[in-house]
Amino acid sequence: MLKIDNLHASVEDNAILKGLSLQVPAGEVHAIMGPNGAGKSTLGNTIAGRPDYEVLQGSVTWNGLDLVELDPAARAAAGVFLSFQYPVEIPGVPGLTFVRTAMNAQRRQRGEDEISAPAFLKQVKEAAKNLKMDFDMLKRPLNVGFSGGEKKRMEILQMAMLEPSLLILDETDSGLDIDALRIVSEGVNALRRADRSMLVITHYQRLLDYIKPDKVHVLVAGRIVASGGPELAHELEAEGYDKYLPNAA
Amino acid sequence: MNAIARFDLNNAATYPSRRVEAWKYSDLARILRETPKLSATTDIKGSGPFAALGGEVLSLANGHGSIDYSAADQVTVQVRLVSDAESTGHTARVSIKTQAGAKLLLLESHEGRGDYVAHNRIDIDVAAGAEVTRIVLIDEPELAVSVTEAEVNLAAGAKYRQTVLTTGARLQRFETRLAHHAHGADARMDGLYLLKGARHTDLTSVVDHLEAHGTTGQLTKGVARETSRGVFQGKIVVQRGADGTDARMAHNALIDGERAEIDAKPELIIYADEVQCAHGNTVGTLDEAALFYMQARGITAEEARALLTEAFLNEVVDRIEQDDVREVVTQWLTARL
Amino acid sequence: MVAVKETVDTVAELERYKYGFTSDVEQEFAPKGLNTDIVRFISEKKGEPEWMLEWRLAAYERWLAMEEPTWAAVKYDPVDYQDLYYYAAPKTKEGPKSLDEVDPELLEIYAKLGIPLKEQEVLAGVQGAPKVAVDAVFDSVSVVTTFKEELAKVGVIFMPISEALREYPDLVRKYLGTVVPVSDNYFAALNSAVFSDGSFVYIPPGVRCPMELSTYFRINASQTGQFERTLIIADKGSYVSYLEGCTAPMRDENQLHAAVVEIVALDDAEVKYSTVQNWYPGDAEGKGGIYNFVTKRADCRGDRSKVSWTQVETGSAVTWKYPSCILKGEESSGEFYSIAITNGHQQADTGTKMIHLGKNSKSRIIAKAVSAGKSDSTYRGLVSVHPKATGVRNFTQCDSLLIGKECGSHTIPYIEAKNGSAQMEHEATTTRLSEDQLFYAQQRGLSEEEAVALLVNGFVRDVLQELPMEFAVEAQKLVAISLEGSVG
Repeated sequence: MLKIDNLHASVEDNAILKGLSLQVPAGEVHAIMGPNGAGKSTLGNTIAGRPDYEVLQGSVTWNGLDLVELDPAARAAAGVFLSFQYPVEIPGVPGLTFVRTAMNAQRRQRGEDEISAPAFLKQVKEAAKNLKMDFDMLKRPLNVGFSGGEKKRMEILQMAMLEPSLLILDETDSGLDIDALRIVSEGVNALRRADRSMLVITHYQRLLDYIKPDKVHVLVAGRIVASGGPELAHELEAEGYDKYLPNAA
Repeated sequence: MNAIARFDLNNAATYPSRRVEAWKYSDLARILRETPKLSATTDIKGSGPFAALGGEVLSLANGHGSIDYSAADQVTVQVRLVSDAESTGHTARVSIKTQAGAKLLLLESHEGRGDYVAHNRIDIDVAAGAEVTRIVLIDEPELAVSVTEAEVNLAAGAKYRQTVLTTGARLQRFETRLAHHAHGADARMDGLYLLKGARHTDLTSVVDHLEAHGTTGQLTKGVARETSRGVFQGKIVVQRGADGTDARMAHNALIDGERAEIDAKPELIIYADEVQCAHGNTVGTLDEAALFYMQARGITAEEARALLTEAFLNEVVDRIEQDDVREVVTQWLTARL
Repeated sequence: MVAVKETVDTVAELERYKYGFTSDVEQEFAPKGLNTDIVRFISEKKGEPEWMLEWRLAAYERWLAMEEPTWAAVKYDPVDYQDLYYYAAPKTKEGPKSLDEVDPELLEIYAKLGIPLKEQEVLAGVQGAPKVAVDAVFDSVSVVTTFKEELAKVGVIFMPISEALREYPDLVRKYLGTVVPVSDNYFAALNSAVFSDGSFVYIPPGVRCPMELSTYFRINASQTGQFERTLIIADKGSYVSYLEGCTAPMRDENQLHAAVVEIVALDDAEVKYSTVQNWYPGDAEGKGGIYNFVTKRADCRGDRSKVSWTQVETGSAVTWKYPSCILKGEESSGEFYSIAITNGHQQADTGTKMIHLGKNSKSRIIAKAVSAGKSDSTYRGLVSVHPKATGVRNFTQCDSLLIGKECGSHTIPYIEAKNGSAQMEHEATTTRLSEDQLFYAQQRGLSEEEAVALLVNGFVRDVLQELPMEFAVEAQKLVAISLEGSVG
């Protein structure tokens, strides 16, 4: 279970999260919705341990493990996977090399054996097929020159390969057309499992038609101001965030 | 290592030769062997290339007198450096200052007749938040020798735009040393040269980023025809602590003549972190296929060359922000193609 | 850095050198200092022909009249040329008797590089290792023999240059100093006067050398010394790939290295020269490292000849090196692929010269510099097109990557076009290691060091690909090791 308690976090001395509390039990999918600037991306980055995202107060634990004290790599090895809103381009490093390096780095941290080259290839080919990705794309430098949709697919492919237990999807729908959105969502849904938790961060309800959440939380000004079932997303879609804004009547 | 006394027209011992690294491609000592006699003053004729743009006109004839100008508010100034002399030399001194927040359009013309030796020393201070656009048109005779040295100092948030167009001379050096003395200044320094005959021009610049978050953009384009020689030396220095600097420099040249020469030395000297710096340099020739295509459509070879050359050079002129200035500069250039 | 401890040992060793060299002299050696007697001594020891002695003496005279160059962007303590040994320096300290006595940190590097035990002994200077090492490296003496036989079958000559001067004096005389004249520069003149050994390679017309030739083979057989001289002649239509150096940090007591490499490529010949240089970089204060002042030049004198330089420079305190190509032949082609990684207090001023003299000659330059710590790296290069060289093409790409706030990275290219038909393109960029990329890789489970290594390997990939396969794999590991401790 992901447990966030009274989390205060700042970025370059700007306080963004101001007492956020949240629990995502194993096997559940929770959506975080909120207006621009509410702190949605900050939440994902803080859980993943991005440098410059400073936790001032509160705690973040994953299955009882205190994440705040760990470096990003150790969090990843513990099962935390952040699907980036803007996946980074890495020139000169083929996607295959990157994924395999990451897999082995995590395995080493967990004291497991490295994956053999044939086993890796078999697995990655299968994953690419499921996501309707051209295998040759994996031989190209990671994300370099990829379209928005291709980058997101590459994120989901890594998710499928690395088999994390806590999946954070940061605005995964941004920049996707309807076909890409469907493929990416199917990829995510295929990863739903009783021992996995997912946090789906999104501005729009659209994504939640494809990835059905168990719960929806409204994040405004650094705090969760309302929580409810999937119907809350529809309500937000129809009415907007106005009534949650601090200066609203 | 190559420390030499600063160039002084009155002292032949200070004339740099090509053994001085910064003058590697412009051997002044070779063609200027002794101190020239001082030029007498001369009459200033006509109204200069910027007449249509108005503003106050400040002129120096053969370096006699000096210009000391301070700009407040939004103002246009024409500076005419006129040389008319035979085998004599002179030094012109110009000092331009701006008050904080001022916006100056500085229109500088180098006009000449004869085989003089001209040395121009120009200081420009751009105050905090001030903006200076300096447009320089250089039209000198093929036997003249000239060295222009400008020192430009930028205060915090200053904005500086420079575009130099020249047709060269026997030996011509146009040097700009610009320093970002405070954070957040923004400089653009562009150049254009169009050379023919045995003309020589040397566009040299040193941009020194001393403080953080400065921006520099440089684009120089040139064409060397016949036996002319175009030199571009651009040095960008990012000092320790000048983090967040963004500096980009490009020099693109065309050689249009079997015996023309282009020499380029674009340098990046970087001691800071978090910088984005790039330079690009190309040397090529006019697109033969395009030339042939145009001729096949009935355009003469001459016209085709002029059209392609203009298309190539226009990128520099297009970066001039003021429409009326761009118009004047375009006409000036077109007349020289 | 791992090399620190090792260098501390070297410094300690050098100290011992200073005060204790009178005892325990094993070998015959020339006293310190340089004069005509020393030059004569070296020539005599090598059993050289008279003309060679004359050649050396002439070089010495030229050297005396020259000044040490100061234009490179490097700073180092002045070298006292009269305080050096020029021939077989005396051994003052016995090497370790076994690997148990070798600095464990050095062994750790060897392990990371995957170097077999026997080779480790050679590299660490374990006593008696060389003879064993030849066996270890090439499996057995018979392999060496097979290897020599195989080369002899096709007429390839590959031997120490001292041996070639005795066995093939005419061949050596015809080409030696024709690419790098004795008076070319200060260090080349010095090398010409006092070089003790190096490699000689001759590939006969039309022969494709059946294997990659490596200095590794030869260094193990005899101590090369600090003034190495290499001469490679690729006759018409021949091909050879030559590998110099190795990825492991070699123990070496000489602080000054001034090698000269000359390559001659005749019509349709192709030479691929790859270097991995990983000498002592010096300690935490930048003391004790090697000064590496090398002159490498290829003369593409034949039409359609081609020379390709690939270098991975990670070692030495100071590097001053510009492998160049004189492109005389029509349609000749020169390539320069370089990775220069500096960390700690290292300084590197390196690049290339492509001199286009022949019609339709081509050149390509890809230089990648990575600076970390308090190091300083300069790319300095010249591409020049001479008046008669029509149809010349050049492409140059220089990229620099900065890691940390205290390093420097400089790009100083000279582009000189004296012919109207030249097409030259030069691009350079300088960027810092991206924090976004670092975090992205870390989020996927890579430690900071692993992430840096991965990103830097990506940055230099275009050049790594130019290395022969097995060299490339080692070089990739070396890139990671060189940058250890550069972040965090």
